[in-house]
Amino acid sequence: MWQGIKTFFTGKSSGEVAKGRLHLVLAHDRTGLDGGKLQEMREEIAAVIAKYVPIDAEAVEIQIETRNRETQLTVSSSIQPRVV
Amino acid sequence: MGRAIVITSGKGGVGKTTTTANLGTALAQLGHSVVLVDADIGLRNLDVVMGLENRIVYHVVDAIKGKCTVQKALIKDRRLENLWLLPASQTDDKDAVTPDDMRTLVFELKLQYDFVIIDCPAGIEQGFKNAIAGADEAIVVATPEVSSIRDADRVVGLLSAADVPARLVVNRISPALVKRGDMLSQSDVIEILALEMLGAIPLDDQVIATTNKGVPAVLEGKSLAAREFIRIAKVLSGLEVEAEKSVGFFTRIGRALGLSATPA
Repeated sequence: MWQGIKTFFTGKSSGEVAKGRLHLVLAHDRTGLDGGKLQEMREEIAAVIAKYVPIDAEAVEIQIETRNRETQLTVSSSIQPRVV
Repeated sequence: MGRAIVITSGKGGVGKTTTTANLGTALAQLGHSVVLVDADIGLRNLDVVMGLENRIVYHVVDAIKGKCTVQKALIKDRRLENLWLLPASQTDDKDAVTPDDMRTLVFELKLQYDFVIIDCPAGIEQGFKNAIAGADEAIVVATPEVSSIRDADRVVGLLSAADVPARLVVNRISPALVKRGDMLSQSDVIEILALEMLGAIPLDDQVIATTNKGVPAVLEGKSLAAREFIRIAKVLSGLEVEAEKSVGFFTRIGRALGLSATPA
């Protein structure tokens, strides 16, 4: 009950915040990829996609996350519709 | 041939030495012959946690360098029939011994004792490499905090690279804080580290009090922490096959909280 009220006002319990932070930190630790390298990779991937379809390079998102000792790299990007 | 188990964590101050002392003592209480090896050369502490600091004459570096026999460096714990301590040196440096030295030493001890429990120093450098060199398996100790779990994860990676199978002990878990959502639950920690769980030691004032006196908690009273150490010792010795089954009350609370703490 109290937990529910607290979560309602603050959004997340500190335990959940800790868990979320750990998932992110461990993904970086395990891959050895820091923020700078990830940014560089994001730009290169955006450039490759842009060769084939028109995209907004800034809208390309890259994320690494880890579950069960497996780390996943996710790249997401919205593609602009073809101009006829 | 005995088994060599290294107790490690990466981060300092999470309870490696306390875990070594209590699991070793509990295994000896169960009738196994046990030798505790303090691999924290230069910063020895297992001797004081065991209350044997006044009886040290020789130490592990003396034994390795051949200044004395291994037998001579061992201190017998008079409280139990079959418990021994091989203390670390307080004056030498971590690189006074090599992983090969440790491998030979631990092998020799395994010929005479059922369990060789190695207390690993904090960090992942030379001292860590020495401590895990002769180990057949590892127990990773982590407290339910971001920094401890992060360091434990590094250690898990290094152990797996060294082909040392590892299991997890979560230390100093507070059911009240977990319930409030202000502490990671044991199931959170297992999920994050993806390790097999041996047990969860509750935060317990008794451990502080008995450690002050140089008495492992398992030798005194039936505190919650002591009972969990004894249960883990039974799992290690194969007396209790299923790690989870008899945790009973504590695990059930943990599970319930683990579920209710993640409503999202």
